[in-house]
Amino acid sequence: MTGITIENLSTGYDKADVLLDLSLTVKPGTITCLLGSNGAGKTTVIRSILGLTPPRRGTIRLGDTDITGMATHKVIAQGLACIPEGRRMFPKLTVEENLRLGAYQVSDEALIRARMETVFETFPRLAERRDQLAGTMSGGEQAMVSIGRGLMSGPKILLIDEPSLGLSPLYVKENFKIIDGIRDQGVTVFLVEQNVRQTLGIADYGYVLSGGRLIAEGTAEALKASPEVHAAYFG
Amino acid sequence: MDIGLLGQYLANGIILGTMYALVAVGFTLFFGVLDVIKFSHGDVLMLGAFTGFTAFLGLEFVGVTDPWVQVLVVTLVAVAGTAFIGAVIARYLVLPLKAAPPLNILLITLMLGTAIREAVRLFYPNGSNPKPFPALLPDASTDLGNFTLRADSVILVAVGLAVIVGLHLLINRTRLGLAIRAVAQDEETARIMGINYTMIVLVTFAIGSGAAAFAGIMNGLYYNEINFGMGLLLGLIGFSAAIVGGLGNLYGAILGGFLFAALQTIGAVALPFASAYKDVFAFGVVIAVMAWKPTGLIAERTSDRV
Repeated sequence: MTGITIENLSTGYDKADVLLDLSLTVKPGTITCLLGSNGAGKTTVIRSILGLTPPRRGTIRLGDTDITGMATHKVIAQGLACIPEGRRMFPKLTVEENLRLGAYQVSDEALIRARMETVFETFPRLAERRDQLAGTMSGGEQAMVSIGRGLMSGPKILLIDEPSLGLSPLYVKENFKIIDGIRDQGVTVFLVEQNVRQTLGIADYGYVLSGGRLIAEGTAEALKASPEVHAAYFG
Repeated sequence: MDIGLLGQYLANGIILGTMYALVAVGFTLFFGVLDVIKFSHGDVLMLGAFTGFTAFLGLEFVGVTDPWVQVLVVTLVAVAGTAFIGAVIARYLVLPLKAAPPLNILLITLMLGTAIREAVRLFYPNGSNPKPFPALLPDASTDLGNFTLRADSVILVAVGLAVIVGLHLLINRTRLGLAIRAVAQDEETARIMGINYTMIVLVTFAIGSGAAAFAGIMNGLYYNEINFGMGLLLGLIGFSAAIVGGLGNLYGAILGGFLFAALQTIGAVALPFASAYKDVFAFGVVIAVMAWKPTGLIAERTSDRV
């Protein structure tokens, strides 16, 4: 099992700094969450790990491998997968093609098929709609495709960016149960969310981000009672 | 009109349509993956034709005279060489300018096209004069009533259509094609899937440029002549075909190519004015179609690419 170590990360777009001297650890085999309100810089942390927004300073490591500034496809080759914010379907590709792209770096056709069957077992709805264009599906169904696609590469580490965004409470509950199950299969999960209560319900450890800085960290239990968490959201 | 003549026009129309479609496919692929219009595309086609012609001269020089071997080698060298040139243009000219306004890329590729054209005119031996392209395909003919079926026409039609079907299969049935379509729809998410974006862009430019070179060789074999300015009209026709069909859509480009060839053929034979007006007629209809369907016949919806 592999974890993520971020040390003294600073990132920005143009001249504005978005993240300031951020250090955090995602321990192998855990669900570690990063909480924060809109604009706190959560997605930028994900983009930095993926190599989409190269950091100005600091290092990011997966296990013992330094991935700071590495091209995205090489980061993915380290065993990382991402379920991006807003699901990001390929709307004019079928459900099956979307899932196949999740396993783009897998060359073993039998393995791809086996993983697709596993996804279909988790989401029987997708099996019925495998030939449907993803863009014509409902938000909840697209979320299923997005989660399934994130699992197709058989990742060691999964980054999940705001899975609850724009979904009905029923789907949110369902998805969090699935994320809980992903961790139980030995996948390290880094979960970025606004939804504090649901997230701390499944997370092992958490960080709170506000204005590009970490303002609190601790076990999920400790964060539930933490005044900083309440301040960051309601203060 | 008698049926034999009609068959001849149909064969000519299909050959021209295939050529135009192959050029249009390039425009549509480039626009799909990179949102750019590459105006040097026609001149890259010309470069492909001259590469093939040079390969022919080389074969003659070393004494390879079998026409089948010649046509095969000429085509392979032209397609492979031009595919490489296309990838180099993408790597060193188009990709570095990705963040620039689209108008700049359009202008720069327009200038690149002029540079390629002038370079061939000035530096290719006797480059300002047309070159007689060898008739490498058998010209045996069978008389079917009034219709003379020529072997070279049949071969051009068959191979041209096979290349178009091959491109369709490549884009829609292979892992590479899936990656190209993914990049066209959402570049960033494609990267997150582990797709090497730069590689896909280079391969796409190689495919489009190779297809243009193939069209250039077809053009040479069909008219038995190539010249440094041949890319101007072919590029413009390919671009119009891609736009009329719906830029970004592979089938739109193919449809547009055949439509333009049909218009030219109709303009040349069925209308009451001289055949010299065929391009005027065809481009006039293109203008009318654009006024009627501004986004092309197969309209691109917001995220519909390739």
